[in-house]
Formats: sequence, C-alpha cells, structure tokens
Amino acid sequence: MKKIERRALLCLLLAAALIAGLALYVGRWALNGGRWASYAANRHLFNSSGELAVGRVLDRDDDVLSWVDGAGRRAYYENATVRKATLHAVGDRGGNIGTGALTAFADRLSGYNLLTGAYSPLGRGNDLYLTLDARLNYIAYQALGGRKGAVGVYNYQTGEVLCMVSAPSFDPLDPPEHVEDDPAYDGVYLNRFLSGTFVPGSVYKTITLAAAIENIPDLFTRTWTCTGSTDVAGEAVTCPHAHGELDIYAALSSSCNGVFALLAAELGDAVLEAYTRQAGLTARYSVSGLNTAAGSFAFSGLSQGALGWAGVGQGDDLVNPCALMVYMGAIANGGSAAAPQLVLKTENALGLPSGFYRRKSTGTLVAPATAATLAEMMHRNVTETYGAGRFPNMDVCAKSGTAEVGGGNPHAWFAGFLRGTDTPYAFVVLVENGGSGADTAGSVAAQVLDALVNGY
Amino acid sequence: MEALFALPQQRMDALTGWLAANPQLCGWFTSIVRFVFPVLALLILIRSIRSLLTVPHLPEVWAYLTLPNGSGEPLTHWENILGRGGACDVVLNYPVVSRQHAALIRREDDTWTVHDLGSTGGVTVNGAAVEGSAPVAYGDVLGLGGVETVLLPVSPEEKAQRRHRRRAAKPASPWLGLVLLTVFQVLCALQLILSAGAQATLNLPGAFLCLSLVMWLYFLTMRLLRRVGFEMETIAFFLSTLSLAITASSAPSALFKQFLALLLGLVLFLILGVFLRDLERAKHIRWLMAAAAIGLVSVTLVLGSAPQYGAANWIRLGALSLQPSELAKICYIFAGSATLERLFRKRNLGLFIVLTGVCLGCLALMSDFGTAAIFFVTFLVIAYLRSGDFATLSLITGGGVFAVLTMLSLKPYILRRFATWGHAWENASAGGYQQTRAMSAAASGGLVGVGPGEGWLHRVAAADTDLVFGMLCEEWGLIIAALAVLSVFTLAVFAVRACRAGRSSFYTIAACAATSMMVFQTCLNVFGAVDLLPLTGVTFPFVSNGGSSMLASWGLLAFLKATDTRQNASFAIRLPSRREDRRGAALAPRDTEGWEQEADDEED
Repeated sequence: MKKIERRALLCLLLAAALIAGLALYVGRWALNGGRWASYAANRHLFNSSGELAVGRVLDRDDDVLSWVDGAGRRAYYENATVRKATLHAVGDRGGNIGTGALTAFADRLSGYNLLTGAYSPLGRGNDLYLTLDARLNYIAYQALGGRKGAVGVYNYQTGEVLCMVSAPSFDPLDPPEHVEDDPAYDGVYLNRFLSGTFVPGSVYKTITLAAAIENIPDLFTRTWTCTGSTDVAGEAVTCPHAHGELDIYAALSSSCNGVFALLAAELGDAVLEAYTRQAGLTARYSVSGLNTAAGSFAFSGLSQGALGWAGVGQGDDLVNPCALMVYMGAIANGGSAAAPQLVLKTENALGLPSGFYRRKSTGTLVAPATAATLAEMMHRNVTETYGAGRFPNMDVCAKSGTAEVGGGNPHAWFAGFLRGTDTPYAFVVLVENGGSGADTAGSVAAQVLDALVNGY
Repeated sequence: MEALFALPQQRMDALTGWLAANPQLCGWFTSIVRFVFPVLALLILIRSIRSLLTVPHLPEVWAYLTLPNGSGEPLTHWENILGRGGACDVVLNYPVVSRQHAALIRREDDTWTVHDLGSTGGVTVNGAAVEGSAPVAYGDVLGLGGVETVLLPVSPEEKAQRRHRRRAAKPASPWLGLVLLTVFQVLCALQLILSAGAQATLNLPGAFLCLSLVMWLYFLTMRLLRRVGFEMETIAFFLSTLSLAITASSAPSALFKQFLALLLGLVLFLILGVFLRDLERAKHIRWLMAAAAIGLVSVTLVLGSAPQYGAANWIRLGALSLQPSELAKICYIFAGSATLERLFRKRNLGLFIVLTGVCLGCLALMSDFGTAAIFFVTFLVIAYLRSGDFATLSLITGGGVFAVLTMLSLKPYILRRFATWGHAWENASAGGYQQTRAMSAAASGGLVGVGPGEGWLHRVAAADTDLVFGMLCEEWGLIIAALAVLSVFTLAVFAVRACRAGRSSFYTIAACAATSMMVFQTCLNVFGAVDLLPLTGVTFPFVSNGGSSMLASWGLLAFLKATDTRQNASFAIRLPSRREDRRGAALAPRDTEGWEQEADDEED
C-alpha cells in the first residue's frame, strides 16, 4: 500500500497542472481582459454593426447627445448643426473620432471594468455627462462659419470644458464617403482642440513677455522705436507696419514683432525654453484620460534672428490650443489653473454614480506676481486695441495672434480669459487661414463668450 | 395534472408580469445579487474544501503483528506488504527476510491470508511451509524466512478507543453550508426568473425546488444513518446547482431533463457506493464491468449518430439522447482497479491494455478524441499505480503518440481542428470562433459575473457544454468559475491523501483514477474553451449541461466516497459491527488497561 501511496503522487502532478493552467488563464485574463471584452462580437457592449450598444452621452444641461434607439442603433441629437458641433466630443458610429466619448469613454459608457465586468443594470449602460454645453458648441460652430479651426472655453477654477469645437466636422448620421480625397474634410477625424498643433504667432508673446518681466529689470522703463523692420543681430524682423515709439505696454497691445524679437534674443534660448516648458506648452494634458498633443519648440542652436522669430511665435513653433487655453487660465487664476476635464459625471441606469471624478490642478505655469502683471497688460490689449465694446459685461484680458503659415492667409488666434468671480473662463479660438487674429478669431470668441456670459 | 399546475402557473404569470412592470426593481436585484453569489459560494465551498484538504487521514489498525523483539507492528491496511524494503508496510529489518517478502491480506470477514511474494527464505504458518498462499488465523505464528511473528487481533476496547480518537478529527459540519446552498439556489432561481421574464415557466422554480428537496433529503437520510462526512456531496451539489443554472440560461426546455439526470446520478452514486462497501463483491464484478465498458463504446460505434457538429458519440432513443462513453468511464475504472492480491498474482497489464486498446479504438473511430485522451490519461494513471513501471509506460506513451501521428497522416483533416490552437484571435471568425466568443464573454463577466441568465454566450454552439467555463465566467464571474475548478482540484488532493489510510489498493486506485479522470477532463474543458489547449469538446464534470455527463460525474464520485475512511464519514464504508469486534477478543493484547467502552456508533 505504501508503494501505491507514493505512486499516487502522479495524480497530484495532474492536479497541479490544472491549477497552473488556471493561474495562467487568470493572468491572461487580467492582462488582456479589456481587449477581449472590447471585441466587437461582445453583445454586452456592441450591436451587430459593431457600434457601442450601451450608454447615453449627455451635455451638462441634460441634453441627450447620443443614445441607443429601440432597434439597438446609435442615435444622435435631432439638430444637424448640434450633431456637427459636438461630433468631436461625442464621436461617430464608425469609431473614427478618437476623442469622441463613444470611443474614448466607451468603458465609462458601458461601465466595463475588469472587476465587475460589462454588467450594467437593465443592460442600458451608463449615462455619461460631458462638461460641455451643447449650445456653446453650436454657437462656436456657427461662428466659425465653415472655416477650419478650433474653439475651446473652460472654467479655470473647476476645470470643466464648456465648449470644444473642431472644424471641419460632419454629421454622424450622414458621414461623408470620400474623406481622404476631399480637401474640405482635411483632418476631419482630428480633434484640433485636443490633438492638433499649430503655429502660435503672436499669442506666444505672452510667454516671451512673462520671461522678460522676470528677467529684464528695466523692462517697464524701456522704450523702443519700430520702423517696420527691426534689426536683430543682423537679421531683419518685420512688422506689418511701423509702430513708432513704444513702451512695453504699447508693444504688447500693438503686438510689435520687433520689440519681442529683441527681447527674445536678449533673454536667450535657454530662458525662453524654460518659460515655454513652465507654461505647459510642451507637455501633454490628460483631459479625462484623453492626452492632448504636445507643442514643440526648437530654441537651441538658432541664430539670434531666428530666436527672435521664435520669440514672436513664428518659425518652427507649434502649440496645442488646449494647452494655450490652460496657460490663459493659469494667468487668470494667479499662476496655476484647474486641469481641464471633459467628463462631468457618470451614472448607471439606477441613478447611482458609477465613477469618481476628482478635480485636479496644474502646477505653477507662471509666477503669481508675473501673472497679475500679464493679466493687467492683456486687459489693456482689449481696452486699447480689440475694443471692450465687443465683450459686453465682461472683464476680458486677451491676446490675438496672426500666425504666418507660408501660403494662404495667416492663422487667426484669439486667446485669453475673463476675470471676475462669476466668470472664471479661459478661452482659445483658432481659425485656420482666418486672417487677422483680433478680427476673425476675436469675433468668434466674442460670440461664444457673449452666449456664455449674457445668455441669448 | 393540468389543474394541479394551473394555480402556480397563474402565480408565476402574475409575478413575471409584475416584474416586467418594475424593471428598475429587477435591476436592483441583479445588481446586488451578483455580489452575493460569490460570497455565498465562498462560504459554502471554503469549509468543505478546507476540510477535505486537511483531513489528517489517521490510519486504522486492523491487527497487530508481534515481532521477535516483542514489539507489535500495527497493520494499518487490509493489504500489507511485509519485507525488508523501505516501501513495505511492515518493515522487518532482518537479513533473512527478502526485500519484498510476503503480503498479508485481510478479507471482509476479518480473516487473513498470507501470500509468498517469491521470497528466498519462504513463508511458514505455524511451522508449515506455505506454497503460494495460506490462511492465517489470529494467534498463528507467521514465519518469514525463519523470523517468527504472531498475528494478533485488536481488542474491542482498543478499537473503540481508536474510533473515539478518530472521531475527534471530525469532518466539517455540513449544515451551515447546506442552508447557504439552499439560499444560493433560491436566489439563483429568482434571478433566472427575472432574466427570463415572460419566457419563465414553472420548470424553473420547480427544478430548483426539487433540487433543494433532494439535497435536504439526502443529507438528512445520511445523518439518520449516522454518517457525518458531507464535503464531497456539498461540492457536488454546488456544482450541480451551477449546472442547472447554466441549463436554465441556455436551454430552458432541457432543465427538467438535467434535473432528472442529476437525480439518476445521485441514485447511481448511492448504488455504486453501497456496492463498493464489499470488496469481494466489487472484485468479482470487474469482468462484467470490463465487458460493459467495451459494450458501451462499441454499441455507440454501431448505433451512434453525430449531431450537426462534433463526434458521433450519441445514441438516440426516441427523444432521449445518450452518450454511453460517459458511462463507460465508470465501468473502465471499475475494471482497471485491482487489489494487491491480484497485482501479485497477475503482474502484467496485458488484459487491461487490451481493454484500453479496444475502448480507444472505438472512440477514435467515432472521432471522439477528447474522450479518447481522457481514457488514455486514465489508463496511464491506473497502469502506473498498478505497476510503478515508468519504462513500460513511457514505451506505451510513445506508442500512443506514434498511433496518433499515424492517424493524423491518414486523416489530415483532423489536424485542421487543432490548427487554430493558440491563435484563436487571428481566426476569430473561423477556427477560433467559439474560443474568442468564450473569452470575450468571460472577460465581460469580470470577477462577479453579469448575473445568471444575463449572458449571451449561450447563443454560441456548445456554450453550455464545451464552453461552459466561458459561460460560468460570464454569468457567474471568475470567482465562482475558479472555485468550480478548485473543487475538482480538491477532490484530487483528497483522493491522493486518502491513500495513507487506504484499506485496499482497489479503492485507492479507483479513487485516484476517478479524480485524475475528472481533473484531466476539467483541464481539457477549461483550457480548451480559453485557447490554452485545443478545443476537444469534453464536458466539465457536474457543471456542463448534459445528462450522461452528470450521471458519470456522480458515479465517479462514488469511488472517492469509498476511500473516505474517516470514522462514520462515508456511507460507502460499512460501520464496524459488534460481532466483528468480539471475534478474537480473547487473543487481543491486554496491555492497554483503561480502554474505555465506546460503542455508541456501532452496528449490530
């Protein structure tokens, strides 16, 4: 019997193989479970066309932007312009828009996670409330008037993105067939606000200025004379016209390239690079889990003249609109701002919260004292140049930009923020090839902010 | 009959109607109950599993063998090998004793027989040389190569005392687990009614109610018969409950059939267990069982028909379809097990190999390669337990591999079924269709599952049999699925550890073979469904939907029940009788003063 007892250990080997196999499976499940569950044949999450078959997307005012109809198909808001204006936030049926909630927040819509699986009460998935106000998106999209570009507005105290529009767009119920060949749909799947980078032009001067305020002690007593073309270490930096005699306030409000190029050359590449990095323009923000594109700047190794151009936001500078908006928020908020968020809350079909959304803050993007000075100077831009009358009932501080892009009209930028405890909003508007920043982009901003602050 | 069901059906319709009007409530119920199930399952199983894994397996003492030096060696099995070798049950360290000298074997009626195992020194009983074998009575002098030993009985007092001590290592109390399992069944039935909605029929609560009743009836009856070990039954009833739930979700019309199979399985379990009590009886029926095994697989070969997919291993009798190869497993193990006595009389495995060959041949001809693999692995386990001969078994395994390769070269299309193994996701719409669906559904279940009846995997072919692990993971969650696998593992560990206190090698070999069969079958099923092994289409013991499989699983469990030698634990082991205790009492050594009379659990 003792012999058989020993031989029986063979059976233990077999049993051990069972446990080892189970452990291997559990390991694979933990590693790949998410991928397995998001397989399009998974009827818990997808219908037979491969569309996400659970969950509703709503805006902050409970307007339902997308839901699943009785036949199990994805349905969208009834107004076609709203559908286009919210396309990049909501997503299309085919899953081409990477930043769309249907794609990017599929897990939150379905309630799927490794631990509790794809279960959702009543099989309906979750309600995902975006921080956006569909009405603002609608107004911004209308204001862009068919031009390409991006509009973003967010609350720099809470981080809630109230408006996020990217154009061109399309109707998710009637998607275009030949996107690749049609210049009208150039980069239509790209969310320009989160994922695009563009030549910043003069809006970048807010960075150069921040560096100058802190590093050039006599900045506010200096004066310059702009003749329309300024010699920066042997290279010419031009302005659209001669600005004449200027102090730093006037240089900013008239956006004199010559003055800022001289300042940039004086500060040097290392200082400019440090302030750009501190401002968060080279970093990626995680907007409710969506990573923004990082801006890129190449300062080192530039000639003095090229550094001058870089200091006015030309040359090889590229900036992400969202990052610029957050920097504006930080100037408004005394140096740091709330990190932008797109998801307000998620609820399951029983009305219980199905996620936890914490407010996050950026680091110090600009020194508090500098921020206060910058804000004051940007406010003067509005009163002296852009016209405060365009922004009724608002304490606006802003900087425009007209970025030469080589061929075609320049990109029009308008970035800034509102002061005042009731209106903690920072904004950015980009109109590709829109011409004058203050005029084109400024009027888009004015319409959106007017709707936001003054209502209809 | 109609009238009898009319009222409950009315109630049922009212209930489903009310539930349909309150979907919010159903949502709440499922949301909560899916977390309750794993907790209940843990509470139900953990005690049984822990109890089975930590059984001390205290050896029983059947007699004493006094040695020349005066010490008394206890004989702790019915079959004992005496010799000089370390692997002997009684080690006699004398140069004249052969390494493996003699076997001393007890029969059911408490008579002993000595077998000379070809020793050099020879065996004598009371001075008379033994040729082959001879009976030994208590008090007889047993000479082993001249070394004289005396066989002495155990006094009734000592037996009682030992029993008393063994009773201290009591099996876990089953009642809490039973109550929790009943709660589990009630919640499960409710949840299944919720998810079925208007389609819910009386079958659903009926089957679960019957299951609970049968379970309680079994436990109470066994307790009345003074049996106390219920861990294996708790596990089996738990897995069977899962099986009913899986069936209710995937094939509601087959629910009652599945319950009847469970009931038949339980009956088979009882009959087989009671039958196994008597070793002589079991030994005699081996030939019949071998014939039955061959009969069952060959009749399938002749009459078998294939469903639209898979192997031709089904027999249809009107509305009833059977898989006789499942029942053949029980017969095969019965035929393969052997007592030590037989192992020494017939050392070679010839006939057993022939039996295996016939079974495997028939299974291969009906393309049931999964079952063939199970038989082959079981063969290896039995053959190794019987012979301990690695070399021969390696040779046989090599032969098996060669046979498989030959077959593959003759029938290359079989290979295609294995071509997608490990690449299920690259062939998601072809060869990996079932596995990818199983994995996707399994991942959707998470740890706690989406709730019984709420899954979609049951729409995929063979979901409730071959892919049942996927369905378990989807509807019940990874925790319960892993617990189901762990249960099978526990049975295997129990069977192996029970060898220590095994009475006869017949029981030990049968139990080890039966659990190895279950373990290997579970491996093929679980790992096949999740693409760790090729999908071979075998069932998960107890859990898969299928009457034959359920029947066979309960039958195999009887072999395990027969090795549970804990005091009063198993109905498959006869309680000691007073008459037996009295026999030879006069000869018992009386040096153990103070043995107390403990006779309350004895049978007259």
